[in-house]
Amino acid sequence: MMKTLNKKINVSGQAVLEESDVRPILEALKEKLVSKNVAEEVAQKVVDVVESNVVGSRLESFTRVATAVTRALEDALTKILSPGRNINILQEVEACRRDGEPYSIVFIGCNGVGKSTNLAKVAFWLMQHGMKVMIAACDTFRSGAVEQLRTHTQRLGVELFERGYEKDPAAVAREALKKAKEEGCDVVLVDTAGRMQDNEPLMRALSKLINTNSPNLTLFVGEALVGNEAVDQLTKFNSRLIELSPVGQTHKIDGILLTKWDAVEEKVGAALSMVYISGAPVVFIGVGQQYGDLRRLNVKQIVSVLLK
Amino acid sequence: MVLAELGSKINHALRNMGTASVVDEQALDACLKEIATALIQADVNIKMVKQLRDNVKRQVQIEDLAAGLNKKRVIEKAVFSELCSMLDPSTEPYELKKGKSNVVMFVGLQGNGKTTTCTKYAYANKRKGYRPAMICADTFRAGAFDQLKQNCTKAGIPFYGSYTETDPAAIAQAGVDRFRQEKYDLIIVDTSGRHKQEDALFEEMREIEEAVQPDCIVFVIDGSVGQAAYDQALAFKKTVPVGAVIVTKLDGHAKGGGALSAVAATDSPIIYIGTGEHIDQFEHFEAKSFVSRLLGLGDWHGFMDK
Ligand SMILES: Nc1nc2c(ncn2[C@@H]2O[C@H](COP(=O)(O)OP(=O)(O)OP(=O)(O)O)[C@@H](O)[C@H]2O)c(=O)[nH]1
Ligand SMILES: Nc1nc2c(ncn2[C@@H]2O[C@H](COP(=O)(O)OP(=O)(O)OP(=O)(O)O)[C@@H](O)[C@H]2O)c(=O)[nH]1
Ligand SMILES: [Mg+2]
Ligand SMILES: [Mg+2]
Repeated sequence: MMKTLNKKINVSGQAVLEESDVRPILEALKEKLVSKNVAEEVAQKVVDVVESNVVGSRLESFTRVATAVTRALEDALTKILSPGRNINILQEVEACRRDGEPYSIVFIGCNGVGKSTNLAKVAFWLMQHGMKVMIAACDTFRSGAVEQLRTHTQRLGVELFERGYEKDPAAVAREALKKAKEEGCDVVLVDTAGRMQDNEPLMRALSKLINTNSPNLTLFVGEALVGNEAVDQLTKFNSRLIELSPVGQTHKIDGILLTKWDAVEEKVGAALSMVYISGAPVVFIGVGQQYGDLRRLNVKQIVSVLLK
Repeated sequence: MVLAELGSKINHALRNMGTASVVDEQALDACLKEIATALIQADVNIKMVKQLRDNVKRQVQIEDLAAGLNKKRVIEKAVFSELCSMLDPSTEPYELKKGKSNVVMFVGLQGNGKTTTCTKYAYANKRKGYRPAMICADTFRAGAFDQLKQNCTKAGIPFYGSYTETDPAAIAQAGVDRFRQEKYDLIIVDTSGRHKQEDALFEEMREIEEAVQPDCIVFVIDGSVGQAAYDQALAFKKTVPVGAVIVTKLDGHAKGGGALSAVAATDSPIIYIGTGEHIDQFEHFEAKSFVSRLLGLGDWHGFMDK
């Protein structure tokens, strides 16, 4: 092991990296990723890609194998976490405003991950940017869900649209959007009930809400605490939305809101798992339970924490 | 639950090893690697997985000394006993006592299912003949009291809480006093979600515990929590005397390995699991019978009576 780690240039000045040089290093790096809460499957795939990239390549002068491999992994992680598409919510809201349409965001995800709380934080953030916000209470199932939002809207001073419990959430969302347009709201934030990705009736109901209302943005709310399950959550939420889209339209997860970031310290791996699986960017991270606790993802910082 | 699926994976790994003509160091390593990967995929804490590997290796080496032993058998047995000890801590859960006011306090991370689970727990024990009552000592989360109230109303369980009092310890104390006087025999205290990074919230939990002097503290953990589970659970245990674990949201696809970390960190047994949002989606859990059911899945016969 020490021999390969210290392998330096040969007489001709360059060495070609071989599988046997690289593998033990990548195995250790994979373990590091897993200990940082990256899903095992994702960690394996990432190191496999790095392996195929570096094996056969030439080692730069005076570089250790371990350094070269780590650098390659760093690049791979940065690439995965850097969004292909950039979501600029404020710009998109402005564009809708010019057309006289309210911009709508639907918050979806599993039970208890922080949808309603972070929806309230997003409302606060939008208000700071001078937007007129309405919140639509489309979790008509869970006890206290409506009162939870009422408390937030009263504190924030925004309008709540609610029809109580046991109503069809898709219909409540439709009514809310209509009312928001009449009232000249800039943004409608739609709260939905938590659900498990394998719960077929609930996934269909969610798809119906999205298909009938075509929101401008579908945000998947996931928690940084989640482990390997992140893979299955993102895969299934995304694929059910796509599969259940009506002909001529495709709805999928547009972006991710990653919550409870403040509870994981250096175990930031869920961010990587979720982005890797869905290809959707992390739009916000939730870093606490106060309205101001919303941040942008700092890719460089996460990559360095993952490799630390 | 994690071990149910693991059972078959582990059997697969052991069988693979069984086909090797000689069970040498290499075969053992390959087998242990396969098992370790399965455990990590189920969210078992990576340090616990390492420990399992080391322990099995050590046990096998010691047994090696006695010549003529069946190596595969030794390895199987070592793996199995390590898994059992992960699931089955040394401590027994608190047994509710009839004829006295049992006070049970629920704690855990944000959104892990405490409030829902309190109601399920009350309901399950009501059906066993107890008279439960619930207290909302969560003054933080928006709508927390309404949630508990609505749950209790549906389940026909008396509740106590306040919209104006801001000190959860004061509410908890007043609620417990009142329900004790009214001779309820199961008094359940629901608390806010919290995590170890917030000292003030942990201090608050300690104050509530001090105020109500619970007979049992239940740590509720979401079955999908990953590598952070161990440290969080340990921090709870260090602050208040956790005595039992309930794992929630196992109706999803989650394998619940993070919960094993919670068992290890709190040295407390899992007493129930949550399998849905509805009040009756709740199953009693007994580590020992779970393990023996697991035996039925594989080639484990013959280890049990040892
Ligand atoms: N520490 C921390 N807690 C959070 C964060 N976001 C939400 N929470 C807490 O997580 C718990 C659950 O939040 P909710 O917003 O009710 O979650 P939800 O996804 O709407 O839950 P359901 O509607 O029941 O599925 C609450 O106690 C929140 O205060 C965060 O970024 N950090
Ligand atoms: N699918 C499923 N959902 C569950 C289960 N247990 C709880 N939930 C859901 O998880 C979400 C959070 O549950 P709560 O009971 O509010 O969690 P909590 O721990 O009290 O949350 P805080 O008080 O904010 O910390 C709700 O949507 C519940 O319906 C379960 O076993 N399965
Ligand atoms: Mg909600
Ligand atoms: Mg609660």
